[in-house]
Amino acid sequence: MKKKIWRYGILLGLVLSLCGPAPFSFGADPIVIGVPTFLSHVDGKESLNTLMLAVDEINAKGGVKVGSEKRLFKVEALDIRDGAPGVPVPEALLGIEKVILEKKPTALLVGPFRSEALMASMDLIAKYKVPMIGSIAMIPASEDKIRQDPAKYKYIFRNCLNAKYLVGNLIGVMAFIHKEFGFNKVLVMHQDVAWARATATGIVKNYFEKSGWTVLAQEAYPTGASDFSSGLMKAQSGGAQVILPIFDMATSAVLVKQWNSMKVPALMAGFISPLAGPSAWKTFDQKIGGAVNVNFELGSAIASKKSQKSLAFEEAFEKKYKRPLDGGHGEAPSYDAVYILKEAIERAGSLNADAIVAALEKTDYAGVMGRTRFDNGHQVIFGMDPKEAAVVAAFQWTDKGGRTVVFPESIAEGKIQLPAGLKSAK
Amino acid sequence: MFIGTILYALINSVILILMALGFNLTFGISGVSNFAYGALYVLSAFVTWILLKLAGFPYFMAAAVSILFTALLGGLMYRFVLMRVRGQALSEVISTFGIGLAILELFRYLGFVGFEYSLPVFIDRSFVIAGAQVDAQRLMIVLVSVVLLFALWIFVHYTSMGLAFRGIAQDERTAMTFGIDSDRMAMWSVSIGAGLAAVAATVIMPLGTISVEEGYDVLLNALAVCIIGGLGSSGGVIVAGLVVGFAQRFTDTYIGSNWTMIVSMVAIFIVLVIKPSGFFGKQKELEERI
Repeated sequence: MKKKIWRYGILLGLVLSLCGPAPFSFGADPIVIGVPTFLSHVDGKESLNTLMLAVDEINAKGGVKVGSEKRLFKVEALDIRDGAPGVPVPEALLGIEKVILEKKPTALLVGPFRSEALMASMDLIAKYKVPMIGSIAMIPASEDKIRQDPAKYKYIFRNCLNAKYLVGNLIGVMAFIHKEFGFNKVLVMHQDVAWARATATGIVKNYFEKSGWTVLAQEAYPTGASDFSSGLMKAQSGGAQVILPIFDMATSAVLVKQWNSMKVPALMAGFISPLAGPSAWKTFDQKIGGAVNVNFELGSAIASKKSQKSLAFEEAFEKKYKRPLDGGHGEAPSYDAVYILKEAIERAGSLNADAIVAALEKTDYAGVMGRTRFDNGHQVIFGMDPKEAAVVAAFQWTDKGGRTVVFPESIAEGKIQLPAGLKSAK
Repeated sequence: MFIGTILYALINSVILILMALGFNLTFGISGVSNFAYGALYVLSAFVTWILLKLAGFPYFMAAAVSILFTALLGGLMYRFVLMRVRGQALSEVISTFGIGLAILELFRYLGFVGFEYSLPVFIDRSFVIAGAQVDAQRLMIVLVSVVLLFALWIFVHYTSMGLAFRGIAQDERTAMTFGIDSDRMAMWSVSIGAGLAAVAATVIMPLGTISVEEGYDVLLNALAVCIIGGLGSSGGVIVAGLVVGFAQRFTDTYIGSNWTMIVSMVAIFIVLVIKPSGFFGKQKELEERI
């Protein structure tokens, strides 16, 4: 009999706990941040990690002040796989819509990975009127679209590097090398995809041809190529002083390994995505020493001793995740974006999308990658000094696996070291 | 530059021959065109990586276990799938292609999609040969290929299983009247073919990184070499490997790297138009199997 009473008692308790109102209130509802991006890619995954770091920091200090109450951030992430081969853009859009409709986010951060998905998602985001600060997709065409119809597309912002700034920075590095060493003979090697072709052609036309450089060749490699020896032999036989690589494919760092093995006496300086993080040293057999890599944003995989914020960010990441940050694009802006959103909400004093957008447009934030201000295409302005604008950080791998920031001069920690067999032309 | 191009063309040819050996052996003996070949290649590289990085195996033990594992998988694949559809060319192609897709996409699903998957080189040195700098890993590939070709020749000429292989390859019905178990030999051929794919992956993969997409590239290259040389013909693989290897290399140097894969496809097209059975293939087999 006693057993039966206990059983019925427990059952009654369960039913009441499920049907009745919550006995306690834990404060106001959290502010939901939606993160629909390509989480299987190192940059997508690490961007979510840095975003979580910022969210934890803000929540630990009590959260975001909305009017008179403080509210916590809550993250709802979804892998929309838009960077994976074979995944069509509509599938990525379905993922973004799912996050918007099911999680009811106040804002979207990080956003689509592929530019194609960003362009296609702009109408969706405008339809649901959800502010978004994108930190990965780089196509400048989204800015043009915003400028053409600001009332409709005003919800979309980007606080990472775009393709125009990438070209500008690569030109800056080439001009710096010319100034330092007097080099003017280059061989361009790039991935045979639209953004890399456009970047390479942009640099050749806008800088090399106008500045009297000799371009020995512009070699295009299909995605997945892993034998670069013919291009390297051309560089060697043509007497190239600089090899400019532009790649984001997984096999591209093998180019640096082969350049090292073949002992080509030319400076390897450009953009190779897998060279960004510290793990590249082990991954590529400790054979990437000497390569100069233009990282996308200061703080993304590399900090400078001349920027306390980037150092603090690097330390905080290592403390939370017990390992160094490994991605070279999107990580610093994703972290900054949370603080930018927090400040915008606090300035707006509400979670109304239009009010947040108006506040975001007035952003002037000193973050990890420098000073963030948006132009009229809602693109963060990049420059050469972190006190004035967001900056990239070009670094050189040392022969012992270290990385030294070498460009721009405002954050440089050392000078570019030339490979064996190559002497300054000055 | 020209001498360097010749040298690298030769190395490229050897790489292609090594890539195609297993595919060709399997087809030559069992008549099965194993479209899971590229997937087995990538699988063995990932298994080696997992044993090295996650299980902490010594390099040669990891490579050996991976080769044996892949060979075993090839045998099981024959026993449980291919044996049921053997002789039905379309079913063979569909089932092997399906298995290959499943293997590759499983790795993608499990998150093996970054650039951090690479195998260490055997010897970290380079040599100057005829004025061109060549790394030791490429020379290792040449050495392994020569040893493998010689070992295979010994195997098929001087071992009972090798002789049975030859018997099945030349006339299956007559071989069976002598008591040779055709299915058993076919299973061994798929297994050895898979093992050869694993050997190729172990020595070629240190030149690049391991990626799922590599599976499709390897299958295309192996297929190109085998079709041009003549499916099942050992001499054909060597000749076609040299032709495609040199064509790819000269295209890479003098036209552009992005044209190299097109060279293989154009070569297949030309061969299929002029001599559908390939350089040394048998017209009858090609008609029956493809």
